[in-house]
Formats: sequence, C-alpha cells, structure tokens
Amino acid sequence: MKKLRNAKWLPMLVWIGGMIALWEVGALVVASTKRTPENVLPHLYQIIAAIFDNKPVNGGQTAIMVVLGSAGKTILRAFYGFAAGTILGFMLALIMKLSRIAEKLIFPYLMLVQMIPILGMAPIILSITGDINKSRIVIAAILTFYPVATNTLAGFNAVEHEKHELMHSYAASKFTVYTKVLIPYSVPYFFTGLKISAPMAITASILVDTLQGDGGLGSMLSQSLKHGMSIYVFWLIVFFSAFIGIFSSKLMGMIEKLFSPQKRKKRGNGV
Amino acid sequence: MNQKIKRKKSLWRRMQENRKILAAESTVLPLLLGIVIFICWETQILHGILHTDTFTLPLPSRIANIMGDNVNKIMTNVWATVFVALIGLAAGSLLGYVIAVIAALFPKWGSSGVTIVAAFNAIPIVALAPVMTNWTKGVSEDANTRSMVAKILVVMIVCMANMSINAYRGLTEVQPFSEELMQSLVAGKKEVLVKLRIPNSIPYIFTALKVAVPSSVISALVSEYFAEYIIGVGRQIRENIVLAQYSTAWAYIVAACLIGIIMYAVTMIAENILLKKHA
Amino acid sequence: MSEIIERTEKKEVEISIKELGMTFQDNQGNDVRALTDVNLDIYKGEFISLLGPSGCGKTTLLRMIADLLEPADGEVRIGGRTPREVRLEQKFGIVFQNAVLFYWRTVQKNIELPLEVMKFSKEECKARSCEMLEMVGLTNFAKSYPNQLSGGMQQRVNIARAFSIHPEILLMDEPFSSLDEFTKEKLHEDLLRIWKQTNKTVIFVTHNIAEAVFLSDRVCVFSPHPGRLSAVVEVDLPRPRTIEMKETPEFNELVKKVRGSFEGGSV
Repeated sequence: MKKLRNAKWLPMLVWIGGMIALWEVGALVVASTKRTPENVLPHLYQIIAAIFDNKPVNGGQTAIMVVLGSAGKTILRAFYGFAAGTILGFMLALIMKLSRIAEKLIFPYLMLVQMIPILGMAPIILSITGDINKSRIVIAAILTFYPVATNTLAGFNAVEHEKHELMHSYAASKFTVYTKVLIPYSVPYFFTGLKISAPMAITASILVDTLQGDGGLGSMLSQSLKHGMSIYVFWLIVFFSAFIGIFSSKLMGMIEKLFSPQKRKKRGNGV
Repeated sequence: MNQKIKRKKSLWRRMQENRKILAAESTVLPLLLGIVIFICWETQILHGILHTDTFTLPLPSRIANIMGDNVNKIMTNVWATVFVALIGLAAGSLLGYVIAVIAALFPKWGSSGVTIVAAFNAIPIVALAPVMTNWTKGVSEDANTRSMVAKILVVMIVCMANMSINAYRGLTEVQPFSEELMQSLVAGKKEVLVKLRIPNSIPYIFTALKVAVPSSVISALVSEYFAEYIIGVGRQIRENIVLAQYSTAWAYIVAACLIGIIMYAVTMIAENILLKKHA
Repeated sequence: MSEIIERTEKKEVEISIKELGMTFQDNQGNDVRALTDVNLDIYKGEFISLLGPSGCGKTTLLRMIADLLEPADGEVRIGGRTPREVRLEQKFGIVFQNAVLFYWRTVQKNIELPLEVMKFSKEECKARSCEMLEMVGLTNFAKSYPNQLSGGMQQRVNIARAFSIHPEILLMDEPFSSLDEFTKEKLHEDLLRIWKQTNKTVIFVTHNIAEAVFLSDRVCVFSPHPGRLSAVVEVDLPRPRTIEMKETPEFNELVKKVRGSFEGGSV
C-alpha cells in the first residue's frame, strides 16, 4: 500500500479525478437550473456517448465523423504552414548567426512580429492573399517562425567559447563548425521553439476556419454554436482541439527524443 | 638586443571592435530598413511585390486620415480591448502566482497540479472562447457586460497557465544549498517562502509577463470574435473587412499593433527599473 | 629579468618566444598589462610547465602559442613558423580545463571529431580512436555518452581526443585542476606514460607547484603585477617518475626552490 502512495503518477491521477468530479458536479447544478443544460455544461458521459452515437447530425454524417473529417482538413492545413514556418525560422536563425549586419537589421523586426497580435490580423491577411488556404499557411508560418527563429538563434549563441576555440585549433572551416557544432548544439532549443509553435499553428488554422466556412474544425464549431447541428458536436470539437493542442506539443517532445540519443541513456557509475 | 617588436591594429579592425560604433549600428540599421519599407508602401512598390491593390492595402497616408477622423470611435474600441487584456492579465497572473505558491508549499501534489494548469496554455483560444461565452450567459442582463466577463475569463485562463508554470519554476529553482542554508537557520516554511523563494521568483515573473502581455492582447482580440457584443479592436477589424471597408479595418490593425507594442514596451521598462538590483 | 637556462647537450629548439607581451582592456576600458617581455626557448620533446597563480599570464602565453590570441608585442616562432601556420597545419593538440565534449556524440565519436574535421577516412578514424581508447583505458566506454562518465573519465577522453591527431605540440590548460587528488594522481601517471610512448612536446599550465615539479623537465615560474616570467627551474629528477618520489628530499628541495622563485604577493 505504501508503494502506491509514493507512486509518481498518483498526484496526477488525483488531480484529473478531482477535475472530472468538479465538472460532473457543475453539470448536475446546471442540469437542475437550466432548460437546455447541454448548451452550457453537459455531463461528461453525455459527451462520451455522443462519440458513439450513430444518429446523423449533418448530411448523413454522425457527430464523430463530422469532427474527425473536419479535423483532418484543419490539421493538414496547419501542418503546411507549420512546416514552412519551421524551415523559414531555421534559415533565418542561420542567416542572423552568419551575418552580424543581418542580425542587427532583422532582430528588432522579429521582436515587432512577436508584439503584434498576428492572430488578430487574420482577416486582413485573408483578404490580401485572397485564397483561404494560402492565408492559412501564411498565418501559421508567421506564428511558427518567430519562436523557431529566436530559440534556434539562442541555441547557436549558447555554444561555449571553448568549443569555438577547440574548432579554431583544428583549423576547421566555418562550414564544419556550423555542421559539427552549432547545428547539433541547437537541437534542444529548436525543439523548444517547435513545442511552443505547434499548438499555435493549430489555433491559427482553426481560427481561419471560422472566418470562411469551408469545412474545417472552426467552421463546424461556429455552425454547431448557432445550432446548425447538435450541440454535442460543439463540445466534441472543443475537447478535440484542446487534445490536439496538447498532443502536438508532446509530439514535438517525442520527436526530439528521436534526435537526441543521449537523452535516452541514464547516468552510470565509473571513475 | 634587437629593437622592440611592436604591432599596430589596423584602422578597420579598431573600428570593428569599437563599442560605440557597434551600439550605433544596432539602432541605425533597423531604422533605415523601416524607413525603406515605409517609402515602398507609400509609393506602392510594396503593392507590386505583394500583388495587391490600394483598396485592400491602403496607403499609409489614407490610413492616417481615417484614424484622425474617427479618433473617438477608435479609442472606445481600443479601450474595450485594452481593458479586457489588462484585467485578464492582472487577475490571471495573480491567480497563477498564488497557484504556484501553493504548489511550492506542497511540492508532491503541486508539481503535477502546475503541469495540469500549464496544459491550459496549449488549449487553442478558439476552443476556450466559445465555451466561456456559453458559460457566462446568465451573468448579467446586459450583453456588453456578459461579453466582457467572457473575454476576461479567456485572457485570465491563458495568463494564469503561463504565470503558474514560470512562477513555480522561480519559486522552486533556487540556487543549490540555499534551501539547506535556510534549514540550518531553523527557518519555518513560511519564512523560507518569503525570504528565499519569492525574491528568487521575481525574474521569472518578468519572463512570464513578456510572453503573457502579447498573449493577453491576442487572447482579447480573438475572444472578441466569439463574444456577443460587437466591440473591441479585433472584432472591428473583422466587421470592417466583411463590409469591405478596408481602410477602416487597417486603422484598427494599426491600433492593434500599437497596443501590442506599447504594452510590451511598458513591461520592458518596468522590468528594467525593478530588476536594477539583480545583476 | 628573465633567464634562459643554457644546456650542455645540444637540444633542438622547437618553440622560440621573444619579447612577448599582451595587453587587455578591463571593464572601464583601461589597459591592463597581462604579460610583459617574455623570452623563452622550449625544446623538442620536453615536458615544460607554466606555473603561477591565476592572473599572471601563463594561460595567456599558452593561448598565444596556440594562435588563440594575438600578441600585442613580440613574437612566437615554432620551428620557424608562426603559430597561425602551425594551427592551419593542424599540428596542435589542446586540452582545456573543461572536457568540452559534445554531449550528442558517443565517447568514440568525440575522439574522432578532429579526425573528421581533418578529413581522415572512416577506417582511419575508427582505427585511431580505438588506439586512443586503449591508451587511456576507456575501451569499454566507447559507445557511452559523456553525461554517463565521471569527471576524471571525461578528462581522459579529452586527452585521447587531443592525442588522436598525433599533434606536434600538446597544450594543456590546467586540465586536472577540477579533479580530486586520487583521480589526479592516476591521471598524472597515465599522462606521463602516454607522453613517453608518443614523445611529444608538452606545455602544461597549472597553479599546483607539486604537480608542476612532478610532471615536468622544467618549470617556468610566473609572477603577477605585471605578468612576467620570473624564473625557469630545471627538474632533474630521474624518469620514469613514481608517486614515491614525492616523498624524497630532492623533490621537496625543488618545490622549495620553485616557491622561492615566485616574486609576487597574492593576486
């Protein structure tokens, strides 16, 4: 029994259990006071039941099919922007490291990009590009490339000067120094940037969906809100997007482990 | 003995290493670039590059005009957005800090609790905002108040998630052996908190704020889309684009940018003043 | 004034240092004289120590020989070439105080790093790194990562890496100062054994008098304010050196002599 008390996952389990209990209590309270409780706070089991419900809610599709179908579209589009932003961000960090002038020119504008609410400017980017898919990619790319660029650059700059001196003593070429030292060193920093921007890219994609309904998660979200279809679609989408948001960040962490063999091994003994 | 073997650095090298010139470069170069971009915009070279017209991307002079003509309306909306952002920021950060303090006092339960709160950060705002709007339906008769509360809640949650994880790190990642030092002085848990952990966490608070301030502005803007009442800079951007009044929309975009920049600048200045003691 | 010790047998001068000086700028922008007027000849295959407290210029001198720093006055010539030329020929092996290992590479890959930079073939890299691993006794840890190794082991990898390129000159900057006494003694023995095997010129910077006397043929004593070479003491103890020698009166006499040559107060 003592072992159970000290298990590492116990506190986490208790917290999650507590939150579920809190939700259910809230749902009970709401159910007793409102006409349509599921609009405000349905019971969790009701939401889960909706996953397995076979009743068509929208043109022949069941609730869960609507969610997954539109989710696929949204995630795919987010992915293109994310990939573009990642590559751009990395190249920008490289350029800023290679050229001091480039760094001085670009850095303040990079900061400006962070301070400006890009998401809020989604509508205007949509009208400039004219095409909803292009705008989605542009926004996701902008949101991604700032964290990736700044974090990767921080990684390049964090290389201790002794490593530089070591390479200097080998008369290594600049290319060698970058490929053998700077880039491998920046891998953890690069992934920190990815972990931050992955959920943001997904958020951006969903948001753009709401601006122009052509079947992504966001447009399903606003449709179900306006009671175009069952309210459970709304709740499913909320939970689902929360889930992908958290999962995308964890996914980046897992991919990082793939690239970092030294993290998988534990410290041994020796003299 | 031979004469002294002396060396002299060339003028170019000395220039490159001169601190004053380096500092000047940091400000002058980006400023020049900004001026170049501005000129390209006003003279429509930018439009050629982006393949747009002056209808969707109005000239800066036109935007300035519209802003001048509609100052009052713009300020009302700006205030609505800023109000939501600030209150949400303050309340969320405070709450996040309190949560972090409680978690630091009970580390076994606290660490996973903080992880869960921080997970709220990864929930897309677009999922949070409609839920909050739904939940606040009964708060008040007035649509404006209802929307305000919903938006503030969204900003609060985002800022709370951010501040809690950073504050928790600040409260717990103290220098090695400082906890043992306090223990040897028979300091109570509360004293350790006040004398060691809280001062240690102050730089971390600012790290959190630097992310939370732009986040709060973005959250405020996005939650305006989902709110009932049509007010706020973000909402105005969307409404005006839907009505194809691009110049007005751009006026609001400029307002949004200014809000973001000014709030961030204020945070940086505050950080500089308050952190002067820390090395 | 500096002294140049005359030797009776004819030995080849490998490194000749003339009137070397260095100036740094401190935080206020004032000039600080880190090193003044150093004259020294270093012979081929000898083990020479640069000894002194921190701030007296010994590390500065090492870096100027290694072409990591450009002197303000004077010159260094290595077999007639400038340090820059020797560095470009990849003839230096440097061992820093920190192991400076790449955490994303295995121990073996870390040793192979300079060989890769110098474009050796894969087979040659593997052969040499295996040779080095055996030399420092770490063959069983070839596939381990640096974070799995203790400090002493990491330094051994550091040394193995420096030797892997078969350098002309080995430059060591306080390599053992962060290790405990027991590990240090073991590594002293290992280092002397490897040096005997490979016959390289070693320039060893340290602040530990006993260490300098134990390891070297000659000890250069540096004093601060301004940083200068105050004496060169010859260590005529027989080789191979053993730990027992540290108890002998001859050893202690030398330590006394070295300490006496130091001309400054604390830094």
